[in-house]
Amino acid sequence: MKQMTKVLFLITVVGFTRCGPKITSNFTNPNPQPKLLIGEKVALLDMEHKLPKNILKVGNIRFQDSGFSTDCSFNSLMNQARIVARKNGANIVKVIDKKKPGLWSLCYRLKIELYKYDGDVSAIPQYELKLD
Amino acid sequence: MRTILKAILLFSILLLSSCATIISGSRQNIKIASKPSSARVYINEIEIGNTPIQRKLKRNQDYSIILKLDGYETYETKLEKKFNAWYIGNIAFGGLIGIIIDPITGAIHKLKPEEINGSPKRGTTYNTMENGKLFIEISMNVDTNSEKIGQLKRES
Repeated sequence: MKQMTKVLFLITVVGFTRCGPKITSNFTNPNPQPKLLIGEKVALLDMEHKLPKNILKVGNIRFQDSGFSTDCSFNSLMNQARIVARKNGANIVKVIDKKKPGLWSLCYRLKIELYKYDGDVSAIPQYELKLD
Repeated sequence: MRTILKAILLFSILLLSSCATIISGSRQNIKIASKPSSARVYINEIEIGNTPIQRKLKRNQDYSIILKLDGYETYETKLEKKFNAWYIGNIAFGGLIGIIIDPITGAIHKLKPEEINGSPKRGTTYNTMENGKLFIEISMNVDTNSEKIGQLKRES
């Protein structure tokens, strides 16, 4: 019994200390964008928010449940998407598919597209990030 | 009688088995102060108020912290999730449930300011109280690019 507890403990520690969601990304843009600085705004657009015109697609991100994911609330995923967007020079994060937590997963699962927009992103109607 | 004792013992084991969740909780109390005070504090780019300020944050996430004050350089740091040693209590109590529950609640983690080569980032000092409360103090540097153009004086 004690042996089993130790094994379970080890598996859980290894599993849950890597408790982030599974992130897959794809950046196919032939003209990579320069990184954004922390002061530069990134607009977070949920499903209902519309994209502005004249934008350049930078790439895609997909958040899935790794099975050990615990840090996978909508706000946390959007914050992580914003970090990825900044690194790749995108200033719009657009959710194109959203699965809410349910019976099979306690996590939000998102498909996201990243865009570069030359206008003022703070003028776009957008999702307001909250602290969980 | 023996059955009741066994039931109580079993109930206690189950109750005590989520060690970290019971001892630490799923959120950690964080107090942020600055020198000088009244700096605007942003957590994950959300403005939460001026220093000194206190918030209870979920333990299962990393956070970015930014402090801004006119005439001073913007200070950026992170709160990182680290392993909470109370989780090991599940082994001592044989708490199979706790091994599962603590990671789900996030109590398996504790938040600490980011470290560079094992030391806190320059300008950050911190102290973790016995109750797990994290007290962070940030010294802000004067922005050499800013120019003093005057000063208000209180009339007596």
